[in-house]
Amino acid sequence: MIIPTEVAQSVADPKAYADDKRAHDAFTWLRKNMPLGRAELDLFDPFWVVSKHADILEIERQNELFHNGDRASVLTPKEADRKVREMMGGSPHLVRSLVQMDNPDHMKYRRLTQAWFLPQNIKKLENRIREIARSFIDRMEDKGGACDFARDIAFLYPLHVIMEILGVPEVDEPMMLKLTQELFGSADPELNRNKKAVDDVAANVNAVAATVAEFIAYFNKMTADRRANPRDDVASVIANGEIDGKPLGELEAMSYYIIVATAGHDTTSNTTAGGMWALAESPSEFAKLKANAELIPLYLEESIRWVTPVKHFMRTATADATVRGQKIAKGDWMMLSYPSGNRDEEVFEEPFKFKVDRSPNKHIAFGYGAHVCLGQHLGRMEMRILWEELLPRLKSVELNGKPRWMEANFVCGPKTVPIRYTMH
Amino acid sequence: MAEPFKVWQCSNCGFLYYEAKGLPEEGIPPGTRWADVPEGFECPLCGFAKRDFEMVEV
Ligand code: HEM
Ligand SMILES: [Zn+2]
Repeated sequence: MIIPTEVAQSVADPKAYADDKRAHDAFTWLRKNMPLGRAELDLFDPFWVVSKHADILEIERQNELFHNGDRASVLTPKEADRKVREMMGGSPHLVRSLVQMDNPDHMKYRRLTQAWFLPQNIKKLENRIREIARSFIDRMEDKGGACDFARDIAFLYPLHVIMEILGVPEVDEPMMLKLTQELFGSADPELNRNKKAVDDVAANVNAVAATVAEFIAYFNKMTADRRANPRDDVASVIANGEIDGKPLGELEAMSYYIIVATAGHDTTSNTTAGGMWALAESPSEFAKLKANAELIPLYLEESIRWVTPVKHFMRTATADATVRGQKIAKGDWMMLSYPSGNRDEEVFEEPFKFKVDRSPNKHIAFGYGAHVCLGQHLGRMEMRILWEELLPRLKSVELNGKPRWMEANFVCGPKTVPIRYTMH
Repeated sequence: MAEPFKVWQCSNCGFLYYEAKGLPEEGIPPGTRWADVPEGFECPLCGFAKRDFEMVEV
């Protein structure tokens, strides 16, 4: 059950995701020939690649048998892992946020901000988010019929929303975007901190650690401020929150800000950019959506499935287990491949077709189980509002150059989506 | 007069079950009271069990 090297490399290589087809071809091969195979590559400790939708659900629902935090929670080269453990006193994590935690801590930390992100709470933000969405659509109109939809709109709108929710002032948004892109784009020579190809794993860990340190310096100041002057924002919840009657641990608090300030916009941005790309490429799908605004919710789900901005998370078996008849040993490392699950031929009809009216659409782009995305209601709401406002004003759209994907195997989406359009 | 329909929420992910709407795509017709939702019901978004839901005001 050892995956052929070339296929395994395409699963791990950030460049394969930038090519998109190369990563998907590898997963299609795996689903057909080796749905739960083992990747043995020189650069990495061995890991299982979970490529089937049903297996991802089965593993995610058993969050005591398959832990997030026992080993690195994203795919990390051996040498980088060694370096991180050296820096972090033996821990495989540079930060300790919800995605690195298991119970009992995970549930306690998740409960802290959960109420904030529930549908009934974010409803109060609807009008404000609509104002923000409109201002970005005005900006599109001002651009006079051509823009890079990724950089000019899609990256900035969810950024603005989440920074308001978190409590970061607008002047700091460009810096937050840059730091986010340095983290998620750490393998991408155009986005990473050193702005060059990653040829030295240790230097790359140092660069990522420097980005994290910059975030921490910023959020440390914010904690002090919100302790002195609490406001109605998520930063105040983190700064003044208690776990078992005590303030959050220092690393845990900093990591909490970081996950909200990064996962809280980049994923939604990627989906928005990829959703526009798909429409610009397919006049008939655009026409269908244009003719029936009631399809917006289905179109959004299809965009999320189509882009699947989170490419994987890792799990570690806490005991011997069996999945799809395959023995998994205690301590084994497993990659849950969301893009693969979201193209599973057993779940989706014509999975490689973008259909604005796909239904049912049981995609797993937000994960499943105890760690299922905390921000999914917010992400959906932001995208719904944007399209409710944009669709009536957008008359036509087409590509105006070649879109490109980011090079990353963890969180990734389009880096640029040049479009030409007319507006009503 | 019949009891007004209520809303139940998954305590893990926030998914809302509206008794009035049911979940026809999961085979639960509109108007199904929470008590009548099958015991094996799982949250469609995260897989948590029926007992992990709480009644909420929306
Ligand atoms: C289209 C948008 C988004 C996608 C596709 C997405 C995807 C994901 C995925 C796949 C996970 C891991 C789930 C698992 O392990 O089963 C996750 C976790 C998480 N997401 Fe999102 N996300 C999105 C938007 C957001 C937003 C707007 C926020 C805002 C705060 C957010 C915050 C989080 C947090 C805090 C976690 C960790 C939850 C935990 O481990 O308990 N996400 N997301
Ligand atoms: Zn749920």
